[in-house]
Parts: sequence; C-alpha cells; structure tokens
Amino acid sequence: MAVLVLFPLVVCLALAASTAYSRTPTLCRFSGLVAAATVTVSGIALSAAVLNGSTPTAGGLLRVDALSAFMLTVVGAVGLTATWGGLPTRKAPATSWTYSTLVTLFLGAMSLAVLADNLGVLWVAVEATTIATAFLVGHNGTRRSLEAAWKYVVLGSVGVAIAFLGLVLLYAATVAAGRPTLSWIVLTQGHLPLDPSLLKVAGALTLLGFATKAGLAPMHSWLPDAHSQAPAPVSGLMSGVLLSVAFYAILRVQAVVDPVLGQGLMRGLLLTAGLLSLAIAAGLIIAQRDLKRMLAYSSIEHMGLLALAAAIGGTLAIAAALLHVLGHGLTKSSLFVVSGRILAVEGTTQIAGIRGLLTRRPAVAVPYLAGMAALLGLPPFSLFFSEVAIVVAGFQSGLGWAMAVAVGLLLVLFAGLARHSASMTLGRGSATPADLTPPDLAPHGPQLPLLLALGVTAVVGFATGPLSTLLTQAASLLVGAR
Amino acid sequence: MKTGAAFLAIVQVTAMVILSPLLVGLMRQVRARMEGRVGAGVLQPWRDLRKLFAKESLQAEGTSWVMSVGPVVLITSSALVCVLVPLVGTVTFPLVPDDLFVMVSVLLLGTVALALIGLDSGSAFGGMGSSRHMTIAALVEPTVLVSVYALSIPVGSSSLSLIVDARLVDPASVASPVSLLALVALFIAVVAETGRMPVDNPSTHLELTMIHEVMVLESSGRDLAWLELGSWMRLGALLGLVGSLLLPWGIAGDVTPLAILLGVLMLIVKLVVLGSALAAGEVFLAKLRLFRVPELLAGSFVLAFLAVTASYLVVQG
Amino acid sequence: MSASLFDQLIGLSAGVLLLTSVLLVWKRSLVAAVRLLALQGAALAAMVAFIGVFERDLPLLAVAGLVLLLKGFVLPFVLDRSRIQTGAVREETPLMNTTSSLLVLSLLTMLAYLVSQPLLTLAPGPTTAAVPVGISLVLYGFLILTTRRHAISQLVGFLVLDNGIATVAFLTSGGVPFVVELGASLDVLLVVLILRVLGGRIAAEYGGADLDELTELRD
Repeated sequence: MAVLVLFPLVVCLALAASTAYSRTPTLCRFSGLVAAATVTVSGIALSAAVLNGSTPTAGGLLRVDALSAFMLTVVGAVGLTATWGGLPTRKAPATSWTYSTLVTLFLGAMSLAVLADNLGVLWVAVEATTIATAFLVGHNGTRRSLEAAWKYVVLGSVGVAIAFLGLVLLYAATVAAGRPTLSWIVLTQGHLPLDPSLLKVAGALTLLGFATKAGLAPMHSWLPDAHSQAPAPVSGLMSGVLLSVAFYAILRVQAVVDPVLGQGLMRGLLLTAGLLSLAIAAGLIIAQRDLKRMLAYSSIEHMGLLALAAAIGGTLAIAAALLHVLGHGLTKSSLFVVSGRILAVEGTTQIAGIRGLLTRRPAVAVPYLAGMAALLGLPPFSLFFSEVAIVVAGFQSGLGWAMAVAVGLLLVLFAGLARHSASMTLGRGSATPADLTPPDLAPHGPQLPLLLALGVTAVVGFATGPLSTLLTQAASLLVGAR
Repeated sequence: MKTGAAFLAIVQVTAMVILSPLLVGLMRQVRARMEGRVGAGVLQPWRDLRKLFAKESLQAEGTSWVMSVGPVVLITSSALVCVLVPLVGTVTFPLVPDDLFVMVSVLLLGTVALALIGLDSGSAFGGMGSSRHMTIAALVEPTVLVSVYALSIPVGSSSLSLIVDARLVDPASVASPVSLLALVALFIAVVAETGRMPVDNPSTHLELTMIHEVMVLESSGRDLAWLELGSWMRLGALLGLVGSLLLPWGIAGDVTPLAILLGVLMLIVKLVVLGSALAAGEVFLAKLRLFRVPELLAGSFVLAFLAVTASYLVVQG
Repeated sequence: MSASLFDQLIGLSAGVLLLTSVLLVWKRSLVAAVRLLALQGAALAAMVAFIGVFERDLPLLAVAGLVLLLKGFVLPFVLDRSRIQTGAVREETPLMNTTSSLLVLSLLTMLAYLVSQPLLTLAPGPTTAAVPVGISLVLYGFLILTTRRHAISQLVGFLVLDNGIATVAFLTSGGVPFVVELGASLDVLLVVLILRVLGGRIAAEYGGADLDELTELRD
C-alpha cells in the first residue's frame, strides 16, 4: 500500500530528473503528460482502495483518506487535460527541457501536498509549487511576464510565510497541550486540549496564508497577472490545480480549528473572503480586454464560491464544493488550452481583436463555447449542480443573505463572460461579407483531451455510485472532525 | 542628612564649574591633535573665561533686560542640573526631588533662556539660530524622557539617585539589552542637546551651519562668560549622567571625605574617557544637514522606545 | 548553563535582532543592509545554540549550525551578488521617508506585543518572553517590503520576515520538526535564488531594478 502512495511521487521525480539530465525531445514533449497520467491512475487506484475501507499510509508523513484520494484524482485529471491538450503541434517550436522539468516537478509537488498527513509537509509542498511555477510564469521572457512572475513569487512567498507562522503557532499550541505534533489525523482525532486564543491567531494566520495562494480577495492581485502571462497549459494547471490544492489546505486547517473554536471564526473569515472575491471579480469582469485575464478573474470568482461553501460547512456544501473543484478544474484547464490555441492562430488574446471564431475557425470555437457553457454553470455540466447545491446548503444553514448576494454577483459574472464570449465567437469574421476565406477547420491541437474533460464534466453531475460515495465520505471526514 | 546632602551639592557644583572648561579644552585638544594641529592647550577655555570676565558687557540697541537676565538663568539652571544629577554621590535632599522629569524641566529652562537671548537682539541670524535650537530641543525631549524611563522600570522609580544606586548594586544590569539600547539613545540625545557633532558644529561660524554659536553672537563680556560657562556645565553634567549610568563604580553612597574624594576622582576619569571618545568620534563625523536631524532623533527615539518594550521582556520573563 | 545566564543570553540575542532590524529600516544603504542581514542571521543562530545548550538538545545545535550557514553566509552572499548585478548602492526613493518609517516602527512594536499576549499568558518563561521580538521582526519585514521600491530592498524585507518567523518558531517550541525545518530553509534559499534571477532579468529588460516601473499590467 505504501508503494501505491509513493508511486506518483517517485514517478514525477524520476521523470523530472531524467528530462533535466538527458533533454531528449521525446522526453521533453511527453514527460508532463506521462506524469499527469500516472497521477490520475494512482488517484483512481487509491480511491478504489479507500472505498474498500483501507487508509494507505507511508512513512508517518503521508496518509490517504477519501479526501486525499479524490484530490489526487483531480490533480491528475486536470493535469492530464492541460498537458495533453497543450501538446504543441508539429509546426510549433519544441518544448524546452526546463519547461517540461518544471511542469513535472509541479505535478509532483501538488501530489505531495494532497497526500500529506503532516501539515508541515503540506506547507513545504505548497511552497515548492511556488518555486516550480516561478519560472514557468515568466517563461515568455517579455516585460509583462517578468513583472507578473516577480509579483507572483513575492506575494506567494509572503503569503506562504504567513501560513508558516500560523503553523508554528499551532505547533506551539500542541507543545503546550503536551503532545507536539503537526499530523492532521492526531490534531483532529486526538482531542488535544489546545489553547483557544492561541489557536485563534494560528488559525487566522494559516487561513490568511493559504487564502493568498488560493487567490481569494484581498490577496488576489497576483492572480490575474500570473495566469494571463503564463503559457496557456501552465495557466490551466495553475487555475485548475494550484488554486484547488490551496483550497484543500484551507479545508484541512478548518477541520483542525473548528472543533476547538466553533465555526464562528473560520466561517466569518471565509464568508468575507468569498463575497469580496465574487464582488471584485464581478466588478472587473466586464472591463476586461484580454481573454486570459478574463478567465483568471473567473477563477477568482469560483474560488470565492468555494470559500463560501467552506464557510457554510456541512456535508452537502462540502461535497458540492469538492464536485465543484473537479468540474471547475477540468473546465478551466480546457478553456485555457483553447485560449492558447487562439493565441497561436490569431496572434492575440485581446478580446477586441478576435472576431467571428465560430464561422472562421469552428474547430477552435466549438470547444471554447462548450467550455464557456460549462463555466457559466449551464446544465448538464456539473458546475450547475454544484452551484445549486452550495446555494441550497447556504439557505439551509441560515446564510440566506450571503447566498442572495452571491447569486446576484454570479449573474453579473454570467452576463460579463457571456458578452465577451459572444463578441469573440458569434457573428461574421469581418465587416465585408465578400471575404471569401474558407473556414479553418484544423483543431490546432489534440481534441480528445478536451472532449474527455468536457464530457466528464457533463456526465459527472448525474453520476451516482462510487464517485458520490467518495465525495460523501470525504465531506463527512471534514465535517465529522468538528 | 541635610548637611551631608548640602555638602555633596556644593562639591558637585564646584567640581563641575572647575572641570567643565577643562573638559571642553580636552575635547578641543584631542580633536586638534587628531587633525594634525598643535591645539591651544587644555587650559584655553579658562583663559578665555578670565578674559571675558574682565571685559565690559555691551548690549546692542533695541535689546531688553533678557540679554542680561538670560545668561544668569542659564548658569543657574546648569548649576541646578549639577546638583540634581548624581555625579559624585547619590545622597540627596529629602524634600528636593532629583526626579528625571525635574532634571529635564530644568534643562529646558536653560534651553529656553538661550533661545530668548538669540531672539532678543532682533537680528536674522539670532532668530534663525533660536528656531533651529528649539526644533532640536522639541525633538530631543521624547528621547530623553523615554530612555531614562526605560532605565527606571527595573528600579520602579524615576529618581536618578535610586536608578544609579540600583545599577551599582547589580552590575550585570548594565549589560542588559534594555540598558544598552537606552544608553545609546540617551547618548544621541545628549549630543543633540549640547550641540555637538553631528547635530551642530561647535566651531563653525558659517551662517548656514550655526545653531548654538549664533545665539551667543550678540553677547559680550561678562554675559558671554556666563553663557559659555553655562553651556559647558550642561555638557559636563549630561556626560557625567551618561557616565554614572554606564559606569556606576566610584559613586559615593555616603558623605565621607574618602568617598567624596573617590567620587570626584572617578568623575574626572569618566569625563576624560567620555569626552575624549566624543571628540575622537567628532573627527570622523560630518555635520548632518538640518532636515536630516529629525531622522537621527527619530531613530534614537525608536531605540529608547524599544528599550522600554524590552524592559517588559525582563519584567515578565 | 544557569537559568539567569540563559535569560541574559536570550535577552542579548533578542536585543541584537531588534537592533539590526531597526537599523535596516533606518539606513537606506543596500550594502549596509546585506551586512546587517548577515549579523541578524548570526544572532538568530546564536539564540538557537543557546536554547540547544540550555535544553541539552543536540539536534538543535545542528540546526543552529544550519541556520548560521544559511542565514549568516549563503543568503547574504547571494543577496550581495544580486545587488552587485543591479549596480545599486542605495535605496534612492522609498515610498515613506525615514522619520515616518521609524515612528511606524514603534507602533508596529506595540502591535507585536499586543498580538503575542495569548502566547505569553499561556506559557510564561524566558524564551516565550522574547516572542514579541520575533513578531516585531515579521511586522518590520512587512514594512520594508511595502515601503521600498528597489528589488533588493524587497528581498531584504522578505528575509527579515522569514527571520522573524524562524525566531518565533525556535522560541515557542524549540523549532518545528526537522523535516519541516529543512524543507522551509530550502524553500527560502530557492525563493531568494529565483528572485535573484528574476531581478537580473528585470534589470536587463527595464534597465534598473526600480520596481515602480513595472506598471504595464493593470485593469
């Protein structure tokens, strides 16, 4: 069992090392893809093991419960979409070895973060992702990407340092309670007499730190820059995986703090962050002029929604949040992959510069429209079901006013995103109808991963059976710990 | 007790009257030698005073009684400071508080008198010097108060003699971070208060750089002699205070002839050491431009403030 | 080592940490900043060593050696190379002048004492009494990060922040588990290296490391 837990980590590390050492074109091209596939397979295998009732551990630092197994699968699936979909076409320049190594390391760090039982190891892994993505964000080498990379590294590191201070204070509380530990299972199940006032400070700081990494307002200012300047597959990975894993860390910390302090502190902080994120995204979405920046603000919106779900608490909200993590991850990475293709063929991501995609380049526009429909929360895509479930859970637990505000802001975002997408895809390609260029039917990249991703998102909303059992088990883990 | 305290007060004032000009002479001599000059000798300030006392004081047209009363106020305040600060011994009058706030107020009296003298002549230079002087005095007050407060927290009283006594009893407290931070801050405050480098150049006569010199520009004869002696005594008393706080050994605990003699000798040693160190430091420092002085004084205030907070480290820990 | 000697040594190292931080905020010279950071790292390592000797905890002495190597030598060295690369000697145009920064520093110190009250009441002792110093360092690091424009100054602020967190960690519980400590040190080193490379590229693109010129991305 320990082998299965360590398998994705070892594979990622080995792939990264061999890519860095040998730098063959094949390895450079496919190492990220193979790593993501390995992580997905391990995630599914571990989910099966957990559903069978076992809890695989490795070395006292790693532990796989239902939540970890689910998150690992999410990391793998989103990673697979982004790396497979982002494979450069034959005509595009070959992937550089630094890019492949860093993407593989990034996937390995994300896997370590979700598999960790020790909160310190979780922290180290999250910091490692900042390091791995630092050069990925600045990969283009332009002035703007350097600016985005600098802001990202500084803000991300400061945020993560604050989280470390919170963890240090948490450890101090456990020392004072007589059993020094950072293990999540001991902290939640061990009934340690932790000092409430110290835990308050520790919990708030840790939440603040991981919320910076998750892109929640008011610590979100790095997100639009970083996600818009990075290469498209990297943006997909960051939006789909990195933000989700930061949210996962918030959930784990909440499960430690709430039994001792009650729901009040974390609920208040997460409500504020969630509503503020929705408000900022809604306010700025209509003014966006760049496609990828618009998608980044949509990521802030969805992270705000997830924060609201965490604030509500309860099995329904948490399970819906986890489903939302899966759906949003797959959708956002597909959209970023398509935006990368748009950039490659149109030469720009400025919304005003892209016109009539549906008539001119249908093979690019159709995945875009499908992904956007999923993102906007239209049925049958799973985001519809998860958003409805979150709102219902909110009304059920007395946060009706917050849900009303959130729904209003979601409508504003719906309008903004729909308007921008419509202006890019619908209508004619140019002012003169005499333009006789035949439509470009080439997909400019693998279509299968996008089909799979959006297909899964469409189907999983109705899915019963093992997935819903897994989600319920994961949610009850977090809720039952309170 | 009262006679002992009175005797000690007389000894302190006399000692400072005699020693302050020698201290200034020593500082000038150290500076001269380090700059490669021969120097005028340690006794030169006394020679200047003797010359000035023999001369008639002239007052400019339009000046008032402030010009003749001011120097007397200054020398009186300086003498009072010499009584209050435990330079030679820590025996005090039972009803006269040698509290730090009293000392600071008495110093301020002298500062204001000097500033008024500068303003009284009605010249532009005088006004400029007085305004600069008062600005620096206003900025220095918080530092002096907070740093001596930091030193008083372990003792629980702001009486200077009690503070020095406590440091005599427990020498290790001299090297604690509270004490070091507070003394550094106090030293910077003393430099600013007495008009030494880098705040003010005592040997300049350029209008852009004068602060102290310009306030005494219009005085002459006996008035000038009082002013100079009063300023030198302030310098001596404040350096003596820093010396007592930094190196409390030798301070007389009771009024016996041997203890007093030892106290005076140790005072001479401390003044020589601190004065030479200050003069040597001045050789290497350039005068700060006036708008930079608040930065220096804010920095010394922060150090004093940190000393106060650090003293709570020791109290609670 | 006796308890009172331990108290004094902890107090002394805490004092040096505070003094170096005050000087870092006060002085605008980048050369002096790097040297002060090295001194701060050495003081932190000394504090860890004192705790290790007093508690007779040998692994902690090894950690003290690691801290000295990393924060006293390697990080200042990397920072100095970065500074030489950008060619700057002073922070020319900070966002807040020195006097205001110093006054804000006093306020931040008071805030640090207020924030650390729960910890002080929970576990009174000589080491926890110095925790406010660590929290003050975190706040000073924030101050430097937000009020300076030069890339090197921001790095200095980040390292002061990190030193403060490390101080709190060692004072409250003798550090965190070794694995985590190792991981955290490695992460800090890598972050500084990354920022050095990025800073170099920014200097090459923009011709100087004044971060206020990075304004092309906005809404």
